[in-house]
Amino acid sequence: MILPSHLFRVISLSLLLYRKLNLSSSLNWYDLSTVADTGIGSNLGEFQDLRCPRELNGAKIWVAGFSDDEVFCYHINLDEYISNKRIKRQPSQPKSGANFSGTEVSLSVSGSMDLLVPPIITFFQKVCLLFRILNVTMDLMVKPGASPGIQTQYVFVVNADETPCFTASNLQQLTSGLKDYVLRHGNCLDMMCDHCFSDREHLKVGSVTACHDENRKRPGGTMEVVIVISDLLETTRQCSRSRDGKTEVLYFDNFSPSPIPQVALSALQKIDWKSYGLILASVNEQDGHVFLEWENFPSYVQIHIALHWYHNKYPTRQKTEPGINLVKNGIKSALDNLKAKHEGFLLSSHARKICSYVPDLARSLAGLIFSSTDIDFQGDCLSVLGFQPQEVEREAVEDYIQRKIVAVIGMNESKTQKDQEAAPFLFFEGESETSYFEDEEIEGEYYPSSLE
Amino acid sequence: MEDDSGGLSSMKFFSDQNTSYADILPPHEARARIEVSVLNLLRALKSPDPSISDLSLINRKRSNSCVNQGVLTDVSYVFLSSSFTKSSLTNAKTAKAFVRVWKVMEMCFQILLQEKRVTQRELFYKLLCDSPDLFSSQIEVNRSVQDVVALLRCSRYSLGIMASTRGLVAGRLSLQQEPGKEPVDCSACGSSGFAISGDLNLLDNTIMTSDARYIILVEKHAIFHRLVEDRVFNHIPCVFITAKGYPDIATRFFLHRISKTFPDLPILALVDWNPAGLAILCTFKFGSIGMGLEAYRYACNVKWIGLRGDDLSLIPEESLVPLKAKDSQIAKSLLSSKILQENYREELSLMVETGKRAEIEALYCHGYNYLGKYIATKIVQGKYI
Repeated sequence: MILPSHLFRVISLSLLLYRKLNLSSSLNWYDLSTVADTGIGSNLGEFQDLRCPRELNGAKIWVAGFSDDEVFCYHINLDEYISNKRIKRQPSQPKSGANFSGTEVSLSVSGSMDLLVPPIITFFQKVCLLFRILNVTMDLMVKPGASPGIQTQYVFVVNADETPCFTASNLQQLTSGLKDYVLRHGNCLDMMCDHCFSDREHLKVGSVTACHDENRKRPGGTMEVVIVISDLLETTRQCSRSRDGKTEVLYFDNFSPSPIPQVALSALQKIDWKSYGLILASVNEQDGHVFLEWENFPSYVQIHIALHWYHNKYPTRQKTEPGINLVKNGIKSALDNLKAKHEGFLLSSHARKICSYVPDLARSLAGLIFSSTDIDFQGDCLSVLGFQPQEVEREAVEDYIQRKIVAVIGMNESKTQKDQEAAPFLFFEGESETSYFEDEEIEGEYYPSSLE
Repeated sequence: MEDDSGGLSSMKFFSDQNTSYADILPPHEARARIEVSVLNLLRALKSPDPSISDLSLINRKRSNSCVNQGVLTDVSYVFLSSSFTKSSLTNAKTAKAFVRVWKVMEMCFQILLQEKRVTQRELFYKLLCDSPDLFSSQIEVNRSVQDVVALLRCSRYSLGIMASTRGLVAGRLSLQQEPGKEPVDCSACGSSGFAISGDLNLLDNTIMTSDARYIILVEKHAIFHRLVEDRVFNHIPCVFITAKGYPDIATRFFLHRISKTFPDLPILALVDWNPAGLAILCTFKFGSIGMGLEAYRYACNVKWIGLRGDDLSLIPEESLVPLKAKDSQIAKSLLSSKILQENYREELSLMVETGKRAEIEALYCHGYNYLGKYIATKIVQGKYI
């Protein structure tokens, strides 16, 4: 999607939800009105297919493009399914010399405030994630009546610190958005949670863009996958955020939050989580949210996944879904990407077992380096590792060696079987190699006993 | 020694080229090899295509063992050829063994720096304190030590590990272990004999004098004790040596040293009539696969004096007891060995066929002094193979 250049302006989208008193009915009616300074002015065709629950009475829309002299108004009869009778043009309003563009939609809705507000909040939480692309902040104001009274305001603000520049790719925007979402506990807080995160570095990110090219069967599409792992401080108990270790999977379709399609659910189940050291217990759908539950998962770690599928040509009428392989490969590539960037994460249990021996190995190697009386040898070792010989602490060297070995083990895992070359031997090339050393009684010893 | 290796005879002269052996190194050279291995690993780790080097260890299994039939000398021995096993950190099966090798190298490095020598037992306790997760038994330590020997191709002694003091010597032998000190008279050491040091360097520099005519290897401590207490070495001018069971490298070294110093003395072995006894004899005679990189140096021309199949008429029927499962295993292993000579095979086959074995103590039915007479008779009749 190619966005107009003036989108770097901060845009605000306000949703005003206020209750209109209707004495003749026991139901409460609410007007939702939105004001958007999008710079575009929506295409009316986007509202053609607006499908709403029965509680919605009707929709009033005004639209104005920059170059238009007037503001166009329409009324959509949501009960009307015949397309040319659905949208009725209303008398236009003059722009009166002002230079603006945008779209305002007002919907009449019936229902209980308590039931309406939470899904709207969730919607905006997710939208906030994506609308970072358009640099949008949103606020939701809930007023109980026409007269001033108690009103509740929810603000969904883009974090100013790490807002990527407008030239950042969609993937970078999505990544930045998901990170913020995580830092602010699902956008429930205004700021990064200080209890859980002393800095953004606690987040480990893997991301990937995977494309379907256009072919006869479907238009081209792009799958973006972002995975964020938060390694929360074990000691924080002040934060009330629940720590059940469940992974929320956010799905976006063409820049808006969408319920997760079956194809993505199937893809999630088909991933070989074991090779990343994870055991998938179940995939649960709950109130439109999708959660992955794991077995034996530590409570201080959380994994967050965001999937975004959009058409390569926008807008398009066709409702398409990504193929299962694209989703699966996208998720797998994002996992591999995270694994490659952050040593020690998402290691299979096989690799983790090996990594449990690495601290001892690093200790021995550091011990050998530092107990030697040969200054040249010490100097050689330190310079190979990249340390300055003068001021170097043994702990730092040991730590470095350990991290490097763990990184190599992780990298080795990411290579496919055929890419894995045998590591070089320490000294001699084995002329005729035999099988791996077996940890058992030495054969051929006449009298197997201790070799003293 | 009869040459019965048939088609392999032409290979004998060339077999030495494939011998894998462990060098005997002074401490600074052994440390240098360890330093090289550290540098190599670090370089591989920091290379543009980083990796963790695999360790290639000379294969200490039967499949890699070869036989050198003595042609010019009458000593045959077993040695290891050039087949390797790979120990890799990235393979879960070998990862622990891999790390153990480095741990042992670190320990040995420090031992060499301090110019000390430790036994494997002391090493085990040190490692147990330092890394209890990696080492939980003596066997693991011993195996890792052999891995380091196989990796660095240097002898265990060069790594600062002393063999334990297990062997005993008694008889007509005088040992001067340190210059200026009183030589030890091994005939005056009481019935327990003189302990053979585990320090191979010391043994190498010991000055030996003897008027013995034979060297007699005794399998069991109890028999050794009986012979020494009865001062049999005065009736038959000889030196008694025991390893108290399976021969350790120090006792083998000592035996080899004596036989080199007194090359005309025949070496006679007195073992139980069972596969385990014969295995002990063979280890003194040919060396072992487990320590194949070093042991071949200490092979000696040992002859089997007793207890043998033709002595069975001397012992009561009741003292022939059935072979145990372990015995059968050892017999099978020995019979399939390339190095075992025909007459030994016959003895083994007799044991296996009758399913019986007998201990030397069975001869005591003729009286406690009988043993000395038995040995003397056999020597005089030249009945040793």
